[in-house]
Amino acid sequence: MIRKKLRKLFFLLVVLELLRLLPLNTAQAVPSFARQTGMRCSECHTVFPELTPFGRIFKLGGYVLGKSGKPYEFPPPLAGMAQASYTESKGLTSGVAPFDSIHRATDRINLPQQLSLFYGGRIFDKIGGFVQGTYDGVSNKIFLDMIDIRYSNNTIVWGKNLIYGLSLNNSPTAQDVWNTTPAWGFPFASSGVASTPAAGTIIDGALDRQVGGIGAYVFWNNFIYLEGTVYRTTRSGITKPLGAGTATGQVVDGAAPYWRLALEHRWKNHFLTIGTYGMQADIFPSGNRSGPADSFTDIAFDAQYQYMGTMGAEHMQEQMQMDGGHMAKAGKHIITAHATWIHENQDWKASFPLGNTGNPADFLNTFRMNLNYYHTSRLGDIGGSVGYFSTTGKTDRLLYSSIPVDGSRTGSPNSDGFILETDYRPGEKIKISLQYIIYNKFNGVHSDYDGFGRNASDNNTLYALVWFMF
Amino acid sequence: MKRILGCAVIAMFLGASPLLAKSVEGNEYGKGKTLYRNKCQFCHGLRGDGKGPAAEPLLGHPVNFTNSKFWQDDVEKKIEKTIKKGKEMMPAFDLEPDETKAIIWYMSRTFKKAAQNNN
Repeated sequence: MIRKKLRKLFFLLVVLELLRLLPLNTAQAVPSFARQTGMRCSECHTVFPELTPFGRIFKLGGYVLGKSGKPYEFPPPLAGMAQASYTESKGLTSGVAPFDSIHRATDRINLPQQLSLFYGGRIFDKIGGFVQGTYDGVSNKIFLDMIDIRYSNNTIVWGKNLIYGLSLNNSPTAQDVWNTTPAWGFPFASSGVASTPAAGTIIDGALDRQVGGIGAYVFWNNFIYLEGTVYRTTRSGITKPLGAGTATGQVVDGAAPYWRLALEHRWKNHFLTIGTYGMQADIFPSGNRSGPADSFTDIAFDAQYQYMGTMGAEHMQEQMQMDGGHMAKAGKHIITAHATWIHENQDWKASFPLGNTGNPADFLNTFRMNLNYYHTSRLGDIGGSVGYFSTTGKTDRLLYSSIPVDGSRTGSPNSDGFILETDYRPGEKIKISLQYIIYNKFNGVHSDYDGFGRNASDNNTLYALVWFMF
Repeated sequence: MKRILGCAVIAMFLGASPLLAKSVEGNEYGKGKTLYRNKCQFCHGLRGDGKGPAAEPLLGHPVNFTNSKFWQDDVEKKIEKTIKKGKEMMPAFDLEPDETKAIIWYMSRTFKKAAQNNN
C-alpha cells in the first residue's frame, strides 16, 4: 500500500518536474535567438515568424547580436520546432500521417506535419546563421530546409549607419527581412495535404532548395536596402550541399541573378516599406539537364505597413510591471499590412519545341495582400488576418491540362480567393491557428474547373495548426 | 662592469615602464573597443551617441554617451551595473569583470572626451 502511494508520489513528482521544464514562456528555456540575446521572442517577432523592425535589424546584423563576450556561443544555439495539424477539405482521407503509409499525402491529421531542428545564432564573431533541418510528416522525408548564413558588419557613411553583409542561402527571398516576399510571406503556415492552384511563379517557392546562392547587401540609415544575389543549381557542384535531401526537379542553367531594393520610413511607431525584387533564371525542361532551357523573368513590387502599438518609453513601464520586471514586450495593438505583386514572363524556348507548352511564351501575374491584427495581453496574444490572393495569366492548354483535382479544363492558370485566419499565442513559443481558405476560381473557373466535375469551392480548406517552438 | 650593466638594466626598465604601461593601456583600449563594437554599438552607435542601427527599430532611446550628463556621479559603477543586470530594454550581458572593465575604459577614453567637447 505504502509502496503504491510512494510510486504515485514519485510519478507525480516526475510529471511536475517535466511540466516545470516545459519551455512555456520561461525565460531560461527559450529558442536559440532569445537565449543568445537575452531578449524576449517578441522583441523580434510580432507573432512568429513575422518580424518586428528590431527583428529585421537583428537578421541583417547576421544573427550575431548576443550577450556573451566570447566570439562564439556555447552551448551551440540550437532550437526546435514541432507542428501538428488537422485539415478539412473535400477528398481528404481519415488516416494519420506519417503513420498511414497508403494515404499519407491526403490524410487530414498530420502528426507531426513538420519537425525542425535549427542552428540559429552566432557561428563565430560576425558570422551567424539560420540553418533548418526538417522532417516532413506528409512526405515522410528529412531534408535540409531553409538556410541563411551571414557575415555582417556596420559602419558610418555620410554620417549615418550602414549595415553591410553577405548572405549564403538556398531559397530566393529566404534572406529577405520584410514579410511581403514569398519565403516569409502570409500565410506563414498552410496545409501540407490540401490542393493548391497549379500555376505559380518561380520566385514564389518553385526554386526553394533547388538553388544555392551568395549575395551582398547594404542597409543605409534604416532607410534604403539594396541587395544582389547570384544563384546556381543545387543539383551538382559547390551548391549541392544546400539542397541536401531535396530532389532537384528544377535544374537552373548557369547563374540566376536576384535583386532587391526596399525603402523604409518610420514615423513614431509606424513603419512603411515599399520595394521591388525579382530574378531571372533559365531552367531546363523537366527531366533535362543540358541543352536548351526555358527563360523566366520575375519582376515584383511589394509594400508593408507596420504599426507597433504603444511600445517604447510610454508603454514600457506598464509592460515591465506586467512581466514582473522582465524585458518590455511589444505594444498592446500591432497591425501589419502586406502586399506584393509578381509579374513573370515565361519564354518557352525549350519546352515549346518539345510540345510541352501550347504557346511559345506565357505570363503570370500574382497578387497577394493581407491585414494582420494582434492584441497582446496577460492572457497571451490573440489576433487574426484577412488575406486575398490572385493569380492570372495566359491560357495554355498543354501547360495546364485537364486532369482530376489538380488540372484545368480551360487551360487557364487563373485562381483567386480569400484567407481568413485567427491566431492565439498563450505563451511566447506556442501558436494555435485556425485558417480557412475560400476559393472563388481554381485553375481557371469556379465550376467544374478540372473537367471531372470538381468545383473551386471543393478546395475550400479548413486548417487547424498547433505550432510549438522550443 | 657589473655596476654599469646593473645601471643599464635599471635605466632600461625605467625607460620602458611608461611604454609598457602604454602598451597595457593600448591592449585594454583595443579590447574594450572590440567588445564595444561587438556588444554595444548596435544600439548605442559607433560614435556612442545612442543612434546605432538598432536604436530606431527598438522604439526606445539608447543612452547617449556623448552627453556630459551621462558622465556625472559614479558613472563607472552605473555602467558596470547596467551591463550586469540590464536596464529597461537593454538585456543583461554575460561578460567577465575584465571585459566590463575594458568596455568602460574604452567608453571613458572615447565618449567622455566627446562629451566634454560637446559642452
